[in-house]
Order: sequence, then C-alpha cells, then structure tokens
Amino acid sequence: MKTFLQSKLLQGIIISNVIVLIIIWLNNWLHSEKDGILVFSEFVILPLLMGVISSWFWRNLNLKSKLLIWYSILNGLLAILLSYIFLGEGTICLIIVSPLIFAFVITGAFIGKTMFRKNNQTLNVSIVSILLVIFTVDSISDHHYSNMVSDEIIVKAAPEKIWKNVVAFEKIKQADTYWLFKAGMPSPMQTTVTAYKKGAGRKCIFSNGYVFDEKIVTFDVNKDLTFDITGQPKDPEIMGHIDIERGQFLLKDNGDGTTTLVGNSWYSLKVFPIWYYDLWAESITRNVHLRVMHHIKELSEKN
Amino acid sequence: MFSFVVKRLDFLKSIPLLALVFDSLLKMWMLITKPERLDQIDKIENEVLKWKNTSLSLHKFGGSQFNHNQREFAHIHSNGLLDILFTQKVKAELMLYGRVEQHHVFKKSGWISFYVHHTEDVDYAIFLLKLSYNKIAGNEYRQF
Repeated sequence: MKTFLQSKLLQGIIISNVIVLIIIWLNNWLHSEKDGILVFSEFVILPLLMGVISSWFWRNLNLKSKLLIWYSILNGLLAILLSYIFLGEGTICLIIVSPLIFAFVITGAFIGKTMFRKNNQTLNVSIVSILLVIFTVDSISDHHYSNMVSDEIIVKAAPEKIWKNVVAFEKIKQADTYWLFKAGMPSPMQTTVTAYKKGAGRKCIFSNGYVFDEKIVTFDVNKDLTFDITGQPKDPEIMGHIDIERGQFLLKDNGDGTTTLVGNSWYSLKVFPIWYYDLWAESITRNVHLRVMHHIKELSEKN
Repeated sequence: MFSFVVKRLDFLKSIPLLALVFDSLLKMWMLITKPERLDQIDKIENEVLKWKNTSLSLHKFGGSQFNHNQREFAHIHSNGLLDILFTQKVKAELMLYGRVEQHHVFKKSGWISFYVHHTEDVDYAIFLLKLSYNKIAGNEYRQF
C-alpha cells in the first residue's frame, strides 16, 4: 500500500488533478465577473494537460496502451469526483461532461507518451505553451451563445379547445421516457397562471419541485402565447449552465379539425464548447417541449 | 464506422486535435471490444522502435506514425489499420499475394493498407514495415 501511494502512477493521477484544480480556481478568481461561464478550455485544454502531466510521471513505467487508457479513465474519474466535491457540479451535469473529459484525458496521455518517448524538450515546451496560450486567450475572451429550439405536433382538436391547456395544465401523469429524465433530471410537471391575460404570472413546476417564474408577454387568444422567464432555480445540475429566456406556443388552425401546435424556446448557454453542449441543450429542450406538448395534446383530444 | 468517418467526415480532419480525439475514441472502443488489438499495436510499435533511426510520432489523422530520420514511412490507426508507403512496383507485387489492400483513401498512390485482425497478422505487419523501412533506410529489399 505504501509503495502504491509513493508510486509514480499515483503521483501522475494526483498531481495532474491538483494542478488542473488550481488552474480552475485561479481562473475563476481572476475572472469572477464571468458569472458561471465555463469556457471550452476547461473541458478540452485542461483535460489534455492532465493527460500530458500524468504521462510525464508515467514516462518510465513503459505502460502498455491498455493500461494507459485504464489509468487515464481513473484520472478522469478523479477529476469528475473533484468537480462534484469542490465545484458543486450535479450528477447529471457530470454525466454530460464525462465523455469530453475521458476523450481528452486519454488523448493528452497519448500525446504525452509520444512527447516524452521522443525526449524532445523543444516540442514538450512548445505544446504545453500552446495549450496555456489557448487557455489564457479563451479565458479572457467574451463568450455568448443563444439558440432557439422549435418543435411541432398535430393535435386533433380546434384551437379554441387547445388554448386553455396551453396557458395552464394539471399535473402530467405519464412516466418519463427520455433517458436523462429517468436518470434524475427534473422534468416538467405542471403549469399554473395567475390570470388569463397579458402580464399575468405563470409558473412552470418541475418534478423535483423547482419552479420557473414566467410572465406572459403575448396573449393572442387561440393563436400565440409567449412568456418571458423572469426567474429560474439555481440548480447544481444543468440548470446552472443554461438560461432559459423565453417560451412560446403557437397554434395554427389547419382547417380540417386539427391544429398544428408549435413550441419554441429561447435559451443562452454558459458552457462551452458549443458544438458539444448545444447538442445536449437541444435534446433536453426538445424533450421538455415534447413532454408538455404531448400532455396538451392528450388533454385537448379528450371528449 | 471508421470507413464512414474517413469517407464522409473527411473535411473535419483539418480541425486541430479532432483526428487525435477520434483515434482516442477508437482506442476506448478497442479496449471494450477487442483489447488484444491494443497489445498487437504495442508489439508492432515496440518492434519498429528497435530499428536504427526510427521514431514514433502522432499521425496527423490519428494513430501512431513510424518515421525513419523524421520521415514517415508508415502509420497505424488504433483499430489496427496499418498504412505503409512503398513504390508502385513493390505495391503491385505485394497486391498479388492478396494480403494487402489499396490504401483506404489514396488508391492510386504507393501506399497500401493492411488490417491487423489477429495475432498472426502482427508478424506480417512487421514484415511489411521492415520491407518499407529497408527501402527508406537505403537497404536492399529482402526477397519475399
């Protein structure tokens, strides 16, 4: 046990994690004005750096590729555990981020293995320098990203019958089908309103009791319900990394007894890279839409 | 999957790191499905590194690159796909034996592709690499 604790293997895992944790802490301290924004470097450059650092400690162990991957996975798991403990990240958030962490820690470990095998100090310094330059530039750059997700379904009912269910609805009793909802992510359950008019307050209640406060900004009966999100819960899960800004339901009479119900949501992301996190944001938003819209459909098609 | 990415997502290869990350995902996939493949690749790499003036580097499109005096003569992707550079003449002769294929992308070049699927393929992979190495190192071809 003592030998293991003193081993280069463990040093590689512990020290790479400690260095990255210090960099994240320093970065948050230096850029405290960037409330909650997590830049792409924190999910790409730092895991790469972790892999490179651990490889430096492991350079004389002649690790086979299989072992290098397993130890890198262990390295990534520790990083995820430390994020849970010190950064207060939620379980779902960590599930979402884990593929990025593992992929880049492993990539970094193999980059490091090649670098240190060649014993090319110039290359080593240049690669680490490039990583740090990218991290610094990325950290001081402004980051803003907004998107809109739109979904539609056909409801076999007239807009007049659907409208009241769009404005507010009773508890959704159907079981969750989306895998992230099943894994514990809060799903929409109920919506209430203070009045059926523009300016009224609306609340969207989620399965864990969290409430999104909303204000109706367009109340075009049987056609358009648009509401701004005025308050959203600060949740350690994904909710802390995405701002839902506006929601909208549009009803289009198809003239054959059916109505096209369109659900739109506008949001801004606080986590980067976008090419990765927006895939998740779109998927989650879409599944929130569909859960609500299918419930509205079911209520409206009842005789 | 590998063929799909190479043929359909080829335009993404110029994005820095992307090919290396894809190769890491291949490694993880191999670790789960065919862990012995990673050992076979290790064995090939270790053998080539014993030869004079050889070195390993990361291949720009993912995998390990075999160099002689910093000049590439082959590379192996983490699914066991080994690509080796020969002259057109040697390539044509090798193709007659039926064990190697046209390069999976550059079919008209001197490059050939050979898949390391089984343990017994490792010896043939090393033989092919030695053949290319001998040429690039200025040695004469061995008979095969």
